[in-house]
Amino acid sequence: MTDYAGLVSAAGAMQRRQMYADPAVYEQELERIFGRCWLFLVHESQIPQPGDFFRTFMGEDDVLVVRQKDRSIKAFLNTCTHRGNRLCRADRGNAKAFACNYHGWAFGADGALVNVPLEKDAYFSEIDKSRFGLVEVEQVASYKGLVFGCFDRGAPSLADYLGDMKWYLDVWLDALPGGSVLLGEAQKVEIPTNWKLPVENVCGDGYHLGWAHAGAMKAVQSMDFSGFTVGNASVDLEGGLSIAGLNGHSLLATLDGVSGYSFYPDNGDIMRWLEANRPTVIERLGRVRGEKFWGSQLNFTIFPNLQFLPGLNWFRVYHPKGPGRIEQWTWAMAEQAMPEAIKQRILDNQLLTFGPAGLFDNDDGDNLAACTEQSRGWRTRQMDVYTNMAQGHSGRRPGLPGDIAVGVVSEHNQRYFYRRWQEHMAAADWRAVPQYNLNSLHAAEGLAHAG
Amino acid sequence: MPAETHALLSIDQHLALTQTLYREARLLDEERYADWLELLADDVHYRMPLTARRFRADRSAALAEGPGYVFDDDKGRLGLRVQRLESGLVWAEDPRNRVRRIVSNVEIYRAETDGEATVHSVIEVHRSRIDAQQRRLTAGRTDLWRLEGGSWRLVQRLIQFDHPVVIDSNLNVFF
Repeated sequence: MTDYAGLVSAAGAMQRRQMYADPAVYEQELERIFGRCWLFLVHESQIPQPGDFFRTFMGEDDVLVVRQKDRSIKAFLNTCTHRGNRLCRADRGNAKAFACNYHGWAFGADGALVNVPLEKDAYFSEIDKSRFGLVEVEQVASYKGLVFGCFDRGAPSLADYLGDMKWYLDVWLDALPGGSVLLGEAQKVEIPTNWKLPVENVCGDGYHLGWAHAGAMKAVQSMDFSGFTVGNASVDLEGGLSIAGLNGHSLLATLDGVSGYSFYPDNGDIMRWLEANRPTVIERLGRVRGEKFWGSQLNFTIFPNLQFLPGLNWFRVYHPKGPGRIEQWTWAMAEQAMPEAIKQRILDNQLLTFGPAGLFDNDDGDNLAACTEQSRGWRTRQMDVYTNMAQGHSGRRPGLPGDIAVGVVSEHNQRYFYRRWQEHMAAADWRAVPQYNLNSLHAAEGLAHAG
Repeated sequence: MPAETHALLSIDQHLALTQTLYREARLLDEERYADWLELLADDVHYRMPLTARRFRADRSAALAEGPGYVFDDDKGRLGLRVQRLESGLVWAEDPRNRVRRIVSNVEIYRAETDGEATVHSVIEVHRSRIDAQQRRLTAGRTDLWRLEGGSWRLVQRLIQFDHPVVIDSNLNVFF
């Protein structure tokens, strides 16, 4: 049997390239990562009314998420239980029922089979419709607006799965009353890359910014990239942190409370709004999060395939489509309490910089594709790649959960991402997957003192 | 976009505008971006909305807040995109990708304002990228062109992109 977990060694610092291209590895990932972890489905703000639905994927499984009459949310496999046809062909919308194109079986918003054509004449009224409802995703749960689904009944609760990452997540999800919102339509791009590579690119790779995005940085001189220089000649990372050791989730953070919006030209209105609201945020979240984190550039990663960046304000999920292909779905994100004019500015800036034709986004695709392609050759797939930068330079920070490295150029977060991947690939079930929220209690106590 | 008329231009103007569309495509294929910017009016509005696949019977207008777009550019922003492409630092375009734009189904009508024309067209963008990689992108375009100093300049362009999922890892191209 292939030792899939052995494709990562030295605590995440080295990966065998085979893991980016091997169909057998991918099959194991569909089962042990996408079949097991909590996966992002939809933001509650995207399906506000009963009957609102949103079509998405959990791994390669087509899933329909539907707001119920009682306002709860259910998710179903998007497949007719009769002959397996795709049930819903729309991306989103509002519907009272879903009728299959093939033979007309119709299902209610609650998944129940409500109509079978020729039920009396052809089935002799002998079909037990209660047996043929849509297959429900085993667990669906929300955390402050983000709805997740999980195929595994044995998984920990969503709250436990997120663990101490929730303390950081609240910086965006709970800073102000009303929480968060996603703006605009899904921006969908197909990239010929293994799904792990874009995740690692965002979870910890501050290293590529000055080089990969040099062309965009040169054009957009007005954008202050927090110390990064065109061409990566030098970097000033004073005040940035790489935070991991939280069940595979991670965060890159500057700690100045404003740099998230320094990329916006003429950002006076946003800065005034931030400062006007900061006292409320401090009251809700304490001084550390209210002053240091809120308004900073933050890169969030929720294992395995959800990432979002308050500041640059994009929110993204990667759907795997085979070992060497993904669909990358992106939205702009904002806080509900923001004035419409600022929300519009956020949508505008997000699309200019990280949309399908984004000045920065367009530098990443070919790099991710080529790292995948160069893992396919018979000889190259036997090679290793490295995430060993600044290994051993991390530890505790009073008042903050996690294992933390200084700076946002370190490969610290990638190591924890691959370590988590390895733990899932090796484990037969959730009981064998270690849970760790490093420095958890210290964080809570530290916060009380700091606040 | 202005209300549609079906009045035709003079044959000379029609011919000049058709030639301008083809010339525009060639300027972009040849990466002559400064010359392309010259074809655009100072108040140009160049946009490509994002869309979702919705049921025809679906009457739930906006589930999310605002639809968004791929491009929503004025001349300044188009200039930014050009500056990036001409910086010499966009590695995905080096070596250069070969791009051919095919413009077809051209319909030209007089707009309501004198000296302006509404132009419908279909554009097919062929990108020949690294190794055997080929990408073919299609879109419908509705333009407003204006005669300025004897030349046609692009004032508005609405691009209806045909791909719900962008089938390329970047869109470093103008349509």
